[in-house]
Amino acid sequence: MTSELKTTTKTIVITRFDPDRDEKPRKQEYQVPCESNWKVLDAVNFIKDEIDATVSHRWSCRMAVCGSCGMMVNGEPKLTCKTSINDYDDRVDIEPLANFPIVRDLVVELDGFMHKFESVKPWIVRAKEEAEDKATRHPVKDTYNQSAAELAEFKQFSMCINCMLCYSACPVVANEPEFLGPAAIALGHRYNLDSRDEGTEERLDIFRGEGTVFSCSYANECSEVCPKNVDPAAAVNQAKFGAVIDWAKGLVLPRGGTQ
Amino acid sequence: MAGPAHPDAMAPRKPGRTRTAPPQTPASWWGSSRIRTYLLFDATGIIYFLVGFLAIGLISDLGNGPIAWHRALERLGNPIYIAFHVLSLAAVIFVAVRFFRLFPKAQPPRIGPVAPPPGPVIHVTLYVVWIGITVLMTAILAGVIF
Amino acid sequence: MRALLLKLEPIIWLLFGQGILIGTMLLTGWILVVGILLPLGIVDPVALSYERAHGLATYWLFGILPIGQLVLAALLVLPLWKGAHHVRSMLIDFGGGERDGFVGSLLYAIALFGSVMAIMAVVRL
Repeated sequence: MTSELKTTTKTIVITRFDPDRDEKPRKQEYQVPCESNWKVLDAVNFIKDEIDATVSHRWSCRMAVCGSCGMMVNGEPKLTCKTSINDYDDRVDIEPLANFPIVRDLVVELDGFMHKFESVKPWIVRAKEEAEDKATRHPVKDTYNQSAAELAEFKQFSMCINCMLCYSACPVVANEPEFLGPAAIALGHRYNLDSRDEGTEERLDIFRGEGTVFSCSYANECSEVCPKNVDPAAAVNQAKFGAVIDWAKGLVLPRGGTQ
Repeated sequence: MAGPAHPDAMAPRKPGRTRTAPPQTPASWWGSSRIRTYLLFDATGIIYFLVGFLAIGLISDLGNGPIAWHRALERLGNPIYIAFHVLSLAAVIFVAVRFFRLFPKAQPPRIGPVAPPPGPVIHVTLYVVWIGITVLMTAILAGVIF
Repeated sequence: MRALLLKLEPIIWLLFGQGILIGTMLLTGWILVVGILLPLGIVDPVALSYERAHGLATYWLFGILPIGQLVLAALLVLPLWKGAHHVRSMLIDFGGGERDGFVGSLLYAIALFGSVMAIMAVVRL
């Protein structure tokens, strides 16, 4: 017995913005015959392919690993390739990701995020002395061994696909432009927890800088919307704890060397 | 041997080249029940402030002798104060329930060489300690023990 | 203002955290009895007569630990820091990001003022 694909016509409302022609963003409605197994992305692609080729949106993998297709669907940040169109009634309101400047239609400006992202040093940092020593030393097989238990400590936080739904959900990101934000802090924390990394002090300095992790008010919205169960709220609040320990250590033992 | 390409090749986009529309928050954000719960959680801060200052006033009266203390207790009998304290109790319970849910996952995987207990253990322990302290304090303040 | 706040944030967060944790745990019984059961007469007013109340507040455990005053101090001081931090957070939620340096400092100053008043009230019992 095959299941039938039913088609229902829904009104898809898309935010439109052409920087050359529009003063500010506006809404445009489309009548879309949605098949029952469609995702929201399929509906948007249908609009672009069959109705209005001027609609611009980002998408790529169609399987929730590239992080490109994030949009606000009826006010909630979603990966549109992962969200069933049948979760919604006859009116679906699709807007660009909240809290980001809008470049065109459903496409948002990502430079701000990239800057925050880079600022937390999201790579393995090794102590300076050792790096200099390696340059002059006879080359040896350079592997940093890591046990399964050590990997388990940070693995969850490494699953981020940079879809930025968490930035759209976070009330602090909406109101404090300096705040580093969930994904950047979670990634920095992922490296702090990595046994191969020696850059924790440097990252904690950044965590206590202008983009301070303490701005987080633990709304937990970021973790609610994360499609990969990274739980950035846990990372940010663990990072606060780490920053306090670092601060306390700094009171007792003045920091030398890496200044 | 590689030679230099133009120093500005593939340079990050300079601001102002394309006009962008300012960031938006969806209209339905304020209506979301999750968001309203969170805003309520923050709003309990006002209640904690008020309860705190009220309690400071009370202890101040206690330090001023029996007449001041008894007048303070009489003031607490005013229905407005009682209503406020009923609201405060609800607020404190609401804060506890939400905080106990969020607290366990904020523990780092290791503090030095020691791993904290698993999340569910912490969660239950928090409730046990909370109820224990509340029962103890209620019993002492109500004159049941001591 | 903001630079000062950034430097002090670890200690403020610690106080706030204890305000939620310890403060909430202590406040429940306090509000229940002092705020509700006693004024409603469900608890006999004799339980918190001046003599008993003062005796409890100034009780010394084993003669060496002023436990009454320590618990009172925690009860009076810690909730203020939870209050200040969350009111600050609430004001930011409602779009006050730019004024945060001033507003945040003001709220913590109020909490500090209250804390000093609280310690003084407890010590002079």
